[in-house]
Amino acid sequence: MDIATSLAIVTLAALVHASFQLSVSVLTLLSGHSIGAKRSHARTLRLTSSFVFGAGVMTLLLLSFISLVLLTIFGQDAPQLIWAIACGLLIGVGIAVWFFYYRREKGTSLWIPRSFARHLSERSKATKSAAESFSLGLTSVISELLFIAAPLIISGLVIIQLPGIWLLVGIAVYTVISLITLFSIWVLISSGHRLSEIQKWRETNKHFLQFAAGGALTVLGFFVYVCKIIADVAGVA
Amino acid sequence: MEHGGLAVDIIKRNGRRPSEAFVREKLHDSIVAACLSTGMPVGQAEGIAKAVAEHVVGWLRSRPEVTSHDLRRIASKHLRAHHPDAAYLYEQHRSIL
Repeated sequence: MDIATSLAIVTLAALVHASFQLSVSVLTLLSGHSIGAKRSHARTLRLTSSFVFGAGVMTLLLLSFISLVLLTIFGQDAPQLIWAIACGLLIGVGIAVWFFYYRREKGTSLWIPRSFARHLSERSKATKSAAESFSLGLTSVISELLFIAAPLIISGLVIIQLPGIWLLVGIAVYTVISLITLFSIWVLISSGHRLSEIQKWRETNKHFLQFAAGGALTVLGFFVYVCKIIADVAGVA
Repeated sequence: MEHGGLAVDIIKRNGRRPSEAFVREKLHDSIVAACLSTGMPVGQAEGIAKAVAEHVVGWLRSRPEVTSHDLRRIASKHLRAHHPDAAYLYEQHRSIL
């Protein structure tokens, strides 16, 4: 697999990661509580930017950890069975996202345990300092692990094949692109957009986001399967 | 608990948490928070919250206990008349995550 194809796979996986909405929901709640508690705009900005930074750090750590584990176990080229399992995981999670990502009710409630959602919701309300907000960002990425594990693993498998500095480029590309939606929401909030507008947009387009995330995961699974397994078997790669 | 001549128990969601006494300030603050999240000035938010809380207190007078869901529904209904966007956020509060 050449560098361009590898980076394209990492980019698509990161875009799928970016389309998941748990961190965005927590950021929306955090901003709402901060504005509602009459905190200054600067304070709200500090809290939200710490949150986005925390989410970025956890994404970077998770991808680095997964890459390191894969590299230690399999070396630079993982066996085909592992690639096949990762592709199966992508397709399986993609289909599951089509059916189970949002709860069948008003709003943007996700299919995560309710106790977990309550905890995140209460923490976003109780968060007052930048350090707490940073840790909430870390936690929100961990909470999304069920959905983001597949794109992280496939990116890890692709990244460990890259030579030298490109390995770091792959990790950086994934981290930056996976933060696109959070960063966009942060910019909107910072520039004074109303939370009601943001939340209405999210609710109106939730089925599109769900379809796009599930579809992109499935397409990515098939693409990697063809690119890596079928090409290897056919002796094309 | 008696609050401003009003003793009403609020049954929490699904009855899983213990019920608690109605506190007007808590309702007022949650409405102010929803209003501020729409970019409304503090003074206007306080005024709307006061008016909505008045309506809700009036509705509660004949009831010894209500569910938190009903309380939120009634507050939301009156808030919608003042500011639909704030009412939307107030209703959505528990279904964002």
